[in-house]
Amino acid sequence: MAERAKPAAVPLVLGDKTPGQVTADITRALERRPGFLWWAAFVPSVAALAVGVAAVVYLLRTGVGVWGINTTVPWGFDITNFVFWIGIGHAGTFISAILYLFRQKWRTSVNRSAEAMTIIAVTCAGIFPMIHMGRVWFFYWMFPYPNTRGPLWLNFESPLVWDVFAILTYFTVSLIFWYVGLIPDLATVRDRTRSRVKRFLFGVFSLGWSGRFRVWHRYETVYLLLAGLATALVISVHTIVSWDFATTVIPGWHTTIFPPYFVTGAIFSGMAMVLTLMLIARKVMGLEAYITRRHVDPMCKVVIVASGLVALAYVTEFFTALYSGNPTEAFAFVNRALGPLGWGFWIMVACNVLIPQLFWIKKVRSTFLLVFVISILINVGMWFERFVIIVATLQRGYLPSSWATYVPTSVEIATLVGSFGLFFTAFLLFARFLPVIAIAEVKGVLGTSRAKGGGPR
Amino acid sequence: MSERKPKDYGKTRGVRGAGEVPAEPEGASPEEGRGVSRREFLAAAGFTLAGAVVAGCARAPVEKAIPYLVQPEHIVPGRAYHYASTCGGCASSCGVVVKNRDGRPIKVEGNAEHPLSRGGLCAVGQATVLGLYDSHRLASPLAGGRETTWAAVDRAVGERLAAIRAEGGAVRFLSGTEASPTARAEIERFLAGFASGRHVEYDTLSSAAILDAHERTHGARLLPRYHLDRSEVIVGVDADFLGTWISPVEYTAGYRAGRTLEGRPPRLSYHVQFESRMSLTGSNADVRYAVRPGDLGVVMDGLARRLAARAGVVVPGEGGGAEPFPAETLDRLAERLWRARGRSLVLCGSQEIQTQLRCNFVNHLLGNYGATLEVARPSFQRRGSDRALEELQRELNRGEVAALFVRDVDPVYDLPDGETWARAMKEVALTVSFAASVDETASVSAYVCPDHHYLEAWRDAEPAAGVFGLTQPALSPLGGTRAMIESLAVWRGEAKAAYDLIREHWEARVYPLAVPERTFRTFWERAVHDGYVEVATEAVAGGEFDMSAVRPGYEAPAAAEGAFALVLYPKVAIVDGHHASNPWLQELPDPVTKAVWDNYACLSPRAAAAQGLAEGDVVRVEAPGGTTAEFPVLVQPGQHDGVVAVALGYGRRETRRFAGIGPRWLEGRPTVEEGGVVGTRAAPFLAWENGTRRYLREGVKVVKTGKRHDLAITQGHHSLSVPPELATPGAETRPIVQETTLPAFVGNPAAGGHPHHNPAPGSREDLWPDDHKYPGHHWGIVVDLNACTGCSACVVSCQAENNLPVVGKDEVRRSREMHWLRIDRYYAGPEAAPTVVHQPMFCQHCDYAPCETVCPVLATVHSREGLSEQVYNRCVGTRFCEANCPYKVRRFNWFHYRRDDERENLVLNPDVVVRSRGVMEKCTFCVQRIQEAKIEAKRQGRAPEEGDIRTACQQSCPAGAIVFGDLNDPRSRVSRLAADPRRYDVLAELNLRPSVGYLRLVRNTA
Repeated sequence: MAERAKPAAVPLVLGDKTPGQVTADITRALERRPGFLWWAAFVPSVAALAVGVAAVVYLLRTGVGVWGINTTVPWGFDITNFVFWIGIGHAGTFISAILYLFRQKWRTSVNRSAEAMTIIAVTCAGIFPMIHMGRVWFFYWMFPYPNTRGPLWLNFESPLVWDVFAILTYFTVSLIFWYVGLIPDLATVRDRTRSRVKRFLFGVFSLGWSGRFRVWHRYETVYLLLAGLATALVISVHTIVSWDFATTVIPGWHTTIFPPYFVTGAIFSGMAMVLTLMLIARKVMGLEAYITRRHVDPMCKVVIVASGLVALAYVTEFFTALYSGNPTEAFAFVNRALGPLGWGFWIMVACNVLIPQLFWIKKVRSTFLLVFVISILINVGMWFERFVIIVATLQRGYLPSSWATYVPTSVEIATLVGSFGLFFTAFLLFARFLPVIAIAEVKGVLGTSRAKGGGPR
Repeated sequence: MSERKPKDYGKTRGVRGAGEVPAEPEGASPEEGRGVSRREFLAAAGFTLAGAVVAGCARAPVEKAIPYLVQPEHIVPGRAYHYASTCGGCASSCGVVVKNRDGRPIKVEGNAEHPLSRGGLCAVGQATVLGLYDSHRLASPLAGGRETTWAAVDRAVGERLAAIRAEGGAVRFLSGTEASPTARAEIERFLAGFASGRHVEYDTLSSAAILDAHERTHGARLLPRYHLDRSEVIVGVDADFLGTWISPVEYTAGYRAGRTLEGRPPRLSYHVQFESRMSLTGSNADVRYAVRPGDLGVVMDGLARRLAARAGVVVPGEGGGAEPFPAETLDRLAERLWRARGRSLVLCGSQEIQTQLRCNFVNHLLGNYGATLEVARPSFQRRGSDRALEELQRELNRGEVAALFVRDVDPVYDLPDGETWARAMKEVALTVSFAASVDETASVSAYVCPDHHYLEAWRDAEPAAGVFGLTQPALSPLGGTRAMIESLAVWRGEAKAAYDLIREHWEARVYPLAVPERTFRTFWERAVHDGYVEVATEAVAGGEFDMSAVRPGYEAPAAAEGAFALVLYPKVAIVDGHHASNPWLQELPDPVTKAVWDNYACLSPRAAAAQGLAEGDVVRVEAPGGTTAEFPVLVQPGQHDGVVAVALGYGRRETRRFAGIGPRWLEGRPTVEEGGVVGTRAAPFLAWENGTRRYLREGVKVVKTGKRHDLAITQGHHSLSVPPELATPGAETRPIVQETTLPAFVGNPAAGGHPHHNPAPGSREDLWPDDHKYPGHHWGIVVDLNACTGCSACVVSCQAENNLPVVGKDEVRRSREMHWLRIDRYYAGPEAAPTVVHQPMFCQHCDYAPCETVCPVLATVHSREGLSEQVYNRCVGTRFCEANCPYKVRRFNWFHYRRDDERENLVLNPDVVVRSRGVMEKCTFCVQRIQEAKIEAKRQGRAPEEGDIRTACQQSCPAGAIVFGDLNDPRSRVSRLAADPRRYDVLAELNLRPSVGYLRLVRNTA
């Protein structure tokens, strides 16, 4: 590939690091007290999380009525946020699994945090279907556990049941994948730390890693297998999430395009979120040398491709609806664009289709501030995509008599804010206590030989 | 005093319902005082953890019911008993059947055998059962606003009356139309004891002009009995006879009988409505004209002239106003009426005596007297005289009244000069109100002697000549109330139980009219059993039409330039405000506007646009004379551009109780502010003119205030057409309601349909086998859109039957009303003159129900009898079913809807569970009724038969528009209707195979 053909003009890791320096650089964040920037990010995140917790406690005490949803629009922010966060998670798996299989070396600097992001995002996502239930205290009825209720079990026809399996599987595999990837680095930290407690904990979790050839060999095999497994999940999870909508009879939902549309949308939004997080981590954790233009640039390119795919999906949806001759279907889509929530639709188009085109310009790709802003706008756009799909569709269904509006309440907004609080709090804690960059993997792409002097692994 | 009652006639003693039984005291924990073992610690820790997880999810404590210590003779726990009775909701006195469970009435339904109401019951009548359990009803008499005893009241009133009798003071008894012949007689007897005693009747919604006009034309002050079933051409002039006018249930039943398409040739009366606002009746008319209120008289005059010319009668006088539409409109109508002589009916709701005289003239020319309207055997549903009321008011103002008794009416609230009344009443030596709770008049009365609720009392009624109704108590009085006639008897010095008074009156007056072959005892028993008797009565008026009464020259009142005419109208459900404290009625969507919990100023779309007003803008309505009030604007298609219409019956003091109704939460807004009332009182705008109260004010200004007031309207979009800017070609209108015209229908009974929308049962082709087989029953409903008037009685019936909560205005505003059955009202055509359809919409119980497949926990499943069943216990509340319901008929319990009022909870139907927070619910086809009938049939060793099961909505429908039954039984009415060429399925293109079919609307237009 390009990297192999010509030695990169810009190396993946700046500063001509030795492996020893790499280890030192990355573990330093874990060993010293966090700096001002970390606290500046952490305190607001925890505050946002606290707001969200308060909102959820209030919700559970009072009832789902504290949200603005209604008979016509029974799903609002809850399911929008759910699909949004599930989508965010996808880029992590995409980067760590699919790009791994395709041997994309630039992924090494970002895969660890992308995987962490996946786990945190799936956690954030999982909260919403849980709390959106009218009787959350019976959430376990969603699981096929042995019970004494005779034939009353699960409805395996319901996409919501498929969702439960899909998401739990995805979460489990992502967690294992992330953890397995962490093992060599945990061992590194174990070996470097002076704290007895840390040494014990990291010792336990590094599973007695010895760094011998045989261990590395087994490790690589397991990692490859997990990557293969996770790759399938990238496709399956959002496909199944899309079935929540595609298998219904609601015009605007009942379309076969949804699975690929949702998967590309998920990778699109996830990539944007990885960009956001990487650019934050780079500053906050002082990793400028490890997260460079060489990493940001291909991610921007992936974003362009995903944006194009998403745009294609938008066009296809409209074309199919108008060409189908199904009047309610056609109306649902015209209403999306020109109806009362048309502004949401146009935010979506602007953020997801138009703005990412700026990435065609190299100057934009290499200006990190612009990339950061655009990545956030894409996430805004992708959130609105889900909002438009869910709310704008439900708002005006078959019978005009039941057309209604939906206005989110402060509790819903607080819950959304809280989910971001949870996301960033968890991510910052991860960055504080675990190696943000896969030390072992980055060393493989330094482009230096051992002759230059390797440090302790 | 009223305790003596016979045991034989289904009278039930008051028994304690389960809700009243105190819960068993909690025993002290045996665990107390011991040390904590490891097991207990773990248990406690686990419990705490679990408790933290389910924070705020406390379940209601289990309440235990205990069996009777002494089993009452007629009561089998869990079994419902039905007693025939007469509705006391208004003077129409419809026949009802009261459903009693465990000693308490839980539902009021129509009595199918009653000659007037014929099985239907309006929303107000349905809701009266909640009024029975109104905890604000007085439980003892009041003297000077303080609770006292009957003995004290009797002593005080007796002393005052003795003094008045000695002085020869004037005693006035003011009531609404007194439907009860016994009460009338008692009032007369009571007043006879005084030198000057007079019984004054007035109706809050006055029809005095009709009675006065008949006094002039027929020599007797009476209200004719209208037979809409015998009428082939019906012309309504400002008479909302299907909604609020005089006796809507009776008229709806008659109207429906004249509009049935099941026979060959089909029978469909031709209904033309002239009105200034959009009334429920107008919305059902075949042809409707929006007319300036001042021109309604011109229309009647125009008809009179044309018909007089045809009849060869000399037209009395010249004049008449300019007709508001081309001459041929009335020419054609007159021709049509003329052809249907003796089979037509002109109804007029005007309070202008000249217009009413012309109405009588028209009906006379058409030979309708004696055919479609009767004066020989008139109706007694309206007796009020505005002249007598005016006279009483003058007497009061002059201080000539020594004692004033007020019953059933609330002059301080009802009348435009209520404050004057209140002041004048304070000057009266003795004021007694019989109000059940402290209304506006009772609050200024010296004594309040609360009467029973009609479900607690023996009463009778004579709604029409020869039709007597009997009301029997369905439970002992809940409070220390006393029947009005008993109070009068006590004060007369002859204490007697109401039962005896009524029985004696019937023996003396009613029994002799009956075929005298039976003893009085058997006659009485039959009357109690049936709830009514029909007897032959003497003709009241000869029916000689006095031509001279129709004075020449009709002069239309001039409309003030640039001003509005204010029309004050009664709303279905709230009507005159008498039942405004009933939350079911407040939350019942108005059949036309679909608004709840408010009155508002209706303006036509053009008028609103011209004033720059949008829905919810608050305007100040200024009438000449300085009366002003503020109302939010509601844009009403089909209303005349020069009219602002405001509903009466709002702003009642008793509606202050609704401040706390509905869920309370962070952003929840109260239905009314603390101390505030629902809506605004519009009575000050009423006018007196020529001895009648007018519901019309000319020269009214509508001034924008800049304030906003959000209305709660249950329907989001009012047209079958999608917004034009969003429509794709060919899809402008949704085929949800199908309609056709009579000529097209006669030519082809399937006209107006689309083959995709009405596949004949059994002809459906499918690649797959059926999901569900129905080896036994397959329940279904067919709704006849041609019969449904939109009156919304079914909505309240459903609410009563299925324990639906009242959620308050804010929740409705958020589209979270809980009615399982809604009536969708769609406008079609131009905004200025739309056609209207009413479509009852409820769970369609689809064979391929989209809700059932998506529920993750199998909380909604299909029964072997075709019901889509919701299992509340299993529901976790994902709302996926609601999202996937194309009809949006599922209802979610967003909150724990409070049922704080323990007395009110007695109305709950014990056969239907009260749903908890977080579960989905919806129409069940009244599955509890299906089960009850099946069990009863099984007990009798037979299969359930047609008519055994009637859903609550079907039972109450005055038009018989809803037919429930077994689709598997080819002889059942529902399967015959399902096979009717008029039947279509809503959203048939989805192939959900709903169990609910609709019969196409057929309009009698060209």
